[in-house]
Amino acid sequence: MERRKTKGTEVPLIELKNGETGIVTSIRYTHGQHGGRAWGFKKRLMDMGLTPGTKVTVVKTAPFHGPLEILVRGSRLAIGRGMAQRIFVTRQKE
Amino acid sequence: MTKRKLIIALAGNANVGKSVIFNHLTGLHQHIGNWPGKTVEKAEGTLYFKGYTIDVIDLPGIYSLSTYSLEELISRKFIAVENPDIVINVVDASVLERNLFFTLQLIELGAPMVIALNQMDIAKRKGIQINVKKLETLLGIPVIPTVAIKGIGIFQLLEKVIDIIEKKQLIKHVKIRYGEEIEEKIAKLTRIVEKMQFYYPPRYVAIKLLEGDEEIERELSKIDPKIISTAKKLAKEIEKLHGHSCTTVITSERYEVAGCIAREVQSLTPPIKPKIEETLHNLTTHRILGYPIMAIFLLSMFYAVFTFGGYTSEFLSSLFYGLEPSFQNFFGTGIIGKLIWGGVIEGVIAAVTIALPYIVPFYIVLYFLEDSGYLSRIAFLMDNVMHKMGLHGKAFIPLMLGYGCNVPACLGCRIMETKREKFLAAFVTTLVPCAARTVIILGLVGTFLGIQWALMLYVFNLLVIFILGRLAFKTLPGEPTALIMEMHDFKMPHIKTVLKQAWFRLAEFIKIAFPLIILGSLVIKIIEVLGLLETITAIFSPITVTWLGLPPETGITLIFGILRKELTLIMLTTIFGTTDYAQILSPFPQMVVFTLVTMFYIPCIATIAALVKEFGWKKALLITLFEIGFAIILGGIALRVFNVML
Repeated sequence: MERRKTKGTEVPLIELKNGETGIVTSIRYTHGQHGGRAWGFKKRLMDMGLTPGTKVTVVKTAPFHGPLEILVRGSRLAIGRGMAQRIFVTRQKE
Repeated sequence: MTKRKLIIALAGNANVGKSVIFNHLTGLHQHIGNWPGKTVEKAEGTLYFKGYTIDVIDLPGIYSLSTYSLEELISRKFIAVENPDIVINVVDASVLERNLFFTLQLIELGAPMVIALNQMDIAKRKGIQINVKKLETLLGIPVIPTVAIKGIGIFQLLEKVIDIIEKKQLIKHVKIRYGEEIEEKIAKLTRIVEKMQFYYPPRYVAIKLLEGDEEIERELSKIDPKIISTAKKLAKEIEKLHGHSCTTVITSERYEVAGCIAREVQSLTPPIKPKIEETLHNLTTHRILGYPIMAIFLLSMFYAVFTFGGYTSEFLSSLFYGLEPSFQNFFGTGIIGKLIWGGVIEGVIAAVTIALPYIVPFYIVLYFLEDSGYLSRIAFLMDNVMHKMGLHGKAFIPLMLGYGCNVPACLGCRIMETKREKFLAAFVTTLVPCAARTVIILGLVGTFLGIQWALMLYVFNLLVIFILGRLAFKTLPGEPTALIMEMHDFKMPHIKTVLKQAWFRLAEFIKIAFPLIILGSLVIKIIEVLGLLETITAIFSPITVTWLGLPPETGITLIFGILRKELTLIMLTTIFGTTDYAQILSPFPQMVVFTLVTMFYIPCIATIAALVKEFGWKKALLITLFEIGFAIILGGIALRVFNVML
């Protein structure tokens, strides 16, 4: 596995604009917030392919502060905003 | 003679065509129920092939074998404990990497397996060519390319399964190797686990311990709590080395392996067809156009179901009631005749005239939406709204189906992931005014007070749904709700699979609902025949008359309403001999109060049956009692508010 040192600043996935691509650096679920389920959420996101080092492209956001449509590992996912706030990425410049 | 019985399990991601393959394999010999005591569906079927009797189990569609959802836990336990002779891993050729991630976990679980490389046609159209031979060698597992929707490759798949079993061909899967530092820790843990008696293979347990798997930690701590702390210590070491948690490192490496294999066997060429699926996706998820498209689609769906349902329902009841005279000739019109006709047969009529014309088409709609991929787009658009009531986008579908009939809506709540989400969604769904309640709202309030009052009741109902949904979300313990789902490409669902699944699910529901419905109508008929209705009216009068300010007879109609909600109105006519309800109830406030109570007071008996089937007696009773109490309190408060206002 390739492990790059993070270049540039990390931002939550939610800050990427439509069409922008980022590389996942970490998923931050603090334990206090959701008790034992923090593990479950983090694991779930990673099981869906959002592991550190993965390229994510934000396609669009649903209206009225809805979920994000993203492209990960050749498939299209919808993820809620709450989750998108906890996924950190570094912006990739085209 | 050797026993020629086999067990095959189908496993794979959601929407890869697993159930289509299941249907090809089992035809009409299937049974769709629930896993014992769980809200997870279990589809089981039998297949006869080359002298073997093969039990086929369609495991739920999942992305991983961790413990995020009940589905994942059930699947991996089934594979480890029940030891199926072969696991057929259905893999979507068009999204190979994600699917192989799951395959790798099956391999770690040590299951004997065959891969059905499905949706080869979609992959081809996307410009993905897959080298099947190479995939076989890399994984050490036989791979059969299939296009399930056209039945291609199913026979070969079965032959391969039998071939493996007859030749006792050992499947040597490749061992997935993690980084050296992790392997060393896995080896250390494996050595400890090997000495224990546990249903999962030792290496698997070791890996899962490092990943911090909740179920395995819980189970193992009963045997040897020391191993948990050892694993935690080892996991910490890895974390220090990598700067990421051990779970993250292992999951990443597993994905890395999946990615490597996928890249090695795939060759990409430009897509053949201009993608219609892409256009459809863009339209249905468009920030402006998406909503009208959804509305038009859903409304026309409703319209079609109701037209079909109304027609069929009428036809069926006229057919049944046409038999009444000849029945009376046979049994007479005495007490026995009355009990059998009014209790048993009318119960059956009620059940049949609701179940067949409405539940079946709504089921078909639900599974059509799910299989085609539109459901996930609707969930995408509606996620935010549903969050307001503590649910996420997917719950919009059962909620919407509820406006048709609560029964398929409650049963449809299984599309939610966790136990809590399913229950919350079902609770909210039973508050939705179904078609029968619409009859009352429009027939009473709409007709006598004007349509604007009827609309106001709907709005009020929505408000209550939001508030109660939120409250239930806050009160029920458990994890918060968040949406994460795949939006797979639009595809034409396999119609035969959709129809068969709707049918077999209905069969399962009928088994539970019919006895309950018949029992219910029998009890009410006995009360009537014994002349106890007056007594009941008197017993209920403190509630109906004193608290709700309604005529005492409404006590009877509300009881009948348990069977079918529209009976509350029909019984009023029967008792008073008029359809001019203004003579019975004052339009304001009595009609409004009566309608309010009817709207909330209890899901009908068929819905209760659906709740029992999905969640068991206790939770069904909990919802029922809560709603009775809520409706009565609400009705009384409404009356007093109206009285002050007047």
